[in-house]
Amino acid sequence: MIRLNTKLALFNLLSRLAITAILLIFLPLIIERVNLRQVDNDLIQKRENVIELISEVGIEPFITSDTTETFGSYNILKEEFISLERIETPDDLNFIEVASRLIEDEEIVYRVLNYSFTVEGQKYLLEVGKSISSIQQARKNINRVLIVFLASVIIFTLMADLQYTRKILQPLGKITSKLKGISNPETFDKTPVITTTHDFSRLDRALNELMTRIDEAFRKEKEITVNISHELLTPVSVLRSKLENILLIRDLNPEVSCKIEESLRTLHRLQTLVNSLLLIARLESRQYLREDTFSVNDLLKEIVSELNPIAVDKGVFIKEEYEDDFMIKNANRPLIFSMFYNVINNSVKNTPPGGKVSLRTISKHKLFSVTITDSGKGMTEAQMNTLFSRFKTRTGSESEGTGIGLAITKSIADFHEIGVSASSETGKGMTFSFIFSENS
Amino acid sequence: MNVLIVEDEKSLANEIALFLRSENFLCELAFTGDAASEKLAVNLYDFVLLDLGLPDYDGLDLILEARKAGSEASFIILTARGAVEDKVKGLDLGADDYISKPFALIELLSRINAVARRKFNVNSQDMVLGDFVLQIQARKLTCRGNLVDLTKKEYDLLQYLVLNHEKVLTRQQLYEHIWGNILDDQYDSNFIDVHIKNIRKKLSLHASAPWLETARGVGYRVIIDNL
Repeated sequence: MIRLNTKLALFNLLSRLAITAILLIFLPLIIERVNLRQVDNDLIQKRENVIELISEVGIEPFITSDTTETFGSYNILKEEFISLERIETPDDLNFIEVASRLIEDEEIVYRVLNYSFTVEGQKYLLEVGKSISSIQQARKNINRVLIVFLASVIIFTLMADLQYTRKILQPLGKITSKLKGISNPETFDKTPVITTTHDFSRLDRALNELMTRIDEAFRKEKEITVNISHELLTPVSVLRSKLENILLIRDLNPEVSCKIEESLRTLHRLQTLVNSLLLIARLESRQYLREDTFSVNDLLKEIVSELNPIAVDKGVFIKEEYEDDFMIKNANRPLIFSMFYNVINNSVKNTPPGGKVSLRTISKHKLFSVTITDSGKGMTEAQMNTLFSRFKTRTGSESEGTGIGLAITKSIADFHEIGVSASSETGKGMTFSFIFSENS
Repeated sequence: MNVLIVEDEKSLANEIALFLRSENFLCELAFTGDAASEKLAVNLYDFVLLDLGLPDYDGLDLILEARKAGSEASFIILTARGAVEDKVKGLDLGADDYISKPFALIELLSRINAVARRKFNVNSQDMVLGDFVLQIQARKLTCRGNLVDLTKKEYDLLQYLVLNHEKVLTRQQLYEHIWGNILDDQYDSNFIDVHIKNIRKKLSLHASAPWLETARGVGYRVIIDNL
């Protein structure tokens, strides 16, 4: 993709080059034409002058009627000449030609005007010539000036164009930079871009309106989620307390106890679901504080120490490789804890006994990454596509989870601008990667 | 101890009251902010369980009013989960603890007891469990003078069971207590079972521990009374 600025400049340059090429081809031809006509007119003018002179003073001063000699005159550089001689042809001559003449043993090519006239019964031939090389010199000079002029015009107008397009496109640049990296319409900068271009201000206004509307729609959606969640949690609270009170009755029939416990467990699933939705809605509307600074490695070690008893019991080895550490700033520690906890817990669950879960932290090119690899069954491509969506569990998964854990992980990562990705080869386990930018 | 339960959801308030009464608390109920405000002005309470989502009152104003009136009641805020701002504000305004709904009644009780111990400066007594002694102040378990090597989580789990002795605690209640309301959906009964298994293994290295019972299909219980 090419930037608009560059495109315009490129077009300007090409169109100017085309015009120059056309000018360079046709102008010399035209100039030559004009030049030649000018020279011919000059020659005719000179002829008129000579004829006028002869009619005033007679032919005698130039040439006597009884000699055969020729009258000739030329300037020092032999650029021009005039000659007068007697001829004996009956035809009248009046034409211009290119011919060479020998002047002082030097052969020079001239443009020559031949003109015959009769004085007292005797025919004379008048020749007026201008050297071709002097004509060409003039043409060359004109060409040179022309090229210099064209080149400077092109350079100057191109610079002016570039400056001008850059200036008028500036608001557009501002608008596009506002759009860059917008993950949330809420964070869109709605201050109007200053511009005198009608189209840009319309574009800017339209974008602002659109963002406001999207923002509003998102906000409403989140609000609804939060409200519904609260409404749902109240009856859950009531039911839970009632069931717990029943469970506390002394000497309760064990069968009833079991049923009550099962009901509590089901209720807990509902509670977790609602809480997860609430959590995601809150994350998306950025209702969590971000004011913790902590070491990611310490956090991971804490999680491993919590999950290790479960892993050991299952016969899964958690391998920890901490090559580099990263102090994360402006973060919410409990949220980041949950983010990693969900993934590591998932990995332990999906790894068969005797398998391994590897944890690795490494810093490279200003990016700090945490990778979590398990040696479980892995996933098919179709499963990978829905990995971070809500309510999708792995088929054949034995966990009691609702499948929202990874959606939570993704939301927390997004909230903290942490990159998260997963890769898998069926039968060879999964790898989750978390990328932290060290500049943020 | 006197407890005022301020909660607009009547059936929830009633269940809390039923539970706390069985634990020998004196309970009064207020279903609206106005009613609570009146009761607070007239009576003395040790504890106020305060729902922040009252329709007619900002719950936090009630704390301010009570404090102005010179009440020495401890406030425990019951609120929807994750309302971070409310939590911070509530604790700043002198609420003593905070528990998010839906909560386990047992958890509420243990929070009340914890606040009470802090407030009245009561040193928890050591609990004798057969050959074992749970030293609550020192946070350790000994067996005939020998320290039983428990991890922090294992100790927390055991102490929670011991403090709520004679009651069957479900795995979910235990899980919620130990791991807080961890933000995941991975609640796994296996989690608690593994920890209990490990605790039993460690206990058996010292002496038998028949007081740690499994309530089949429900959860776990510590029996002290008939030892």
